[in-house]
Amino acid sequence: MTTTQLAGAGAGGGTIGLDDHAEESRDAQRRADRWLIGGTILMGTAVLGIFGLPLFLKGLSLQRQAQRSGLSVRPIIVTLIGYMVMLDAALNTFGWAIDLFANHTLVSRLFLPTWGNMFDAGYFWHYNELAVGGTSAPGEKAWEVVGVFVVFPMRIAACIGLLQMKRWGHQWMILTCWTGVIMWVGYVANMTVYADIRFTGVVFPVIGWWLYDIFYITPFVSLPYLHTVNREIFTD
Amino acid sequence: MNEQDRQKRRALVVLQVVIYGYLALMIAIQLHLWAQRDW
Repeated sequence: MTTTQLAGAGAGGGTIGLDDHAEESRDAQRRADRWLIGGTILMGTAVLGIFGLPLFLKGLSLQRQAQRSGLSVRPIIVTLIGYMVMLDAALNTFGWAIDLFANHTLVSRLFLPTWGNMFDAGYFWHYNELAVGGTSAPGEKAWEVVGVFVVFPMRIAACIGLLQMKRWGHQWMILTCWTGVIMWVGYVANMTVYADIRFTGVVFPVIGWWLYDIFYITPFVSLPYLHTVNREIFTD
Repeated sequence: MNEQDRQKRRALVVLQVVIYGYLALMIAIQLHLWAQRDW
């Protein structure tokens, strides 16, 4: 037991010890994270995304309740950035990994050319016809390799560090968000240069792709916050 | 806010303008191509 007392710091108000406050905060954080992680994993599979969203929102609500009742939990903005950027990496990893390694499976042949038919013919035009299989769009396989092997694993590790409020997590998050800038600039240039391949014959050309993919800008939307936040809130 | 913070803030504003400007330009080029090529 500690001799330090905090007035009105617990969920129920009144006077509690510092250790009690820390324990209560840790429990509340863990409770919220369980829902947030479950929701993010489901959303990260893409096809089960609709089931993951309510779990994620429940976790967010628990996080907010804990913060409002005065517990020492992670700030909401850090929680949102951490999980959203992790979701960005998980979604891209899922889609690109099956295109890279499992392009002749039923799920790939069903899921990817359907997506291609609707929004991006890079996943429809000559699909599975080259030596490597999967997408035949110029340059697309190279983006998959750099994403699946380098950028996204690094990004998921950075998110875990950030969500644990570690200093290295904050630093790696900045790094991975800058790689997000590189990925977007390069990928969108590729889409534009080869627009004839990507958009000919698709159901929703251009606007469909942008509406679907614009949410992946989360990494570099987060950059101003990450560069201006008081870095003392992250621990060594 | 000190001078360093002010400069950092200005640099971040420039970054935002450049990056969103680039995305808007790419959308504009793609829409232009779409109008011309009847995809």
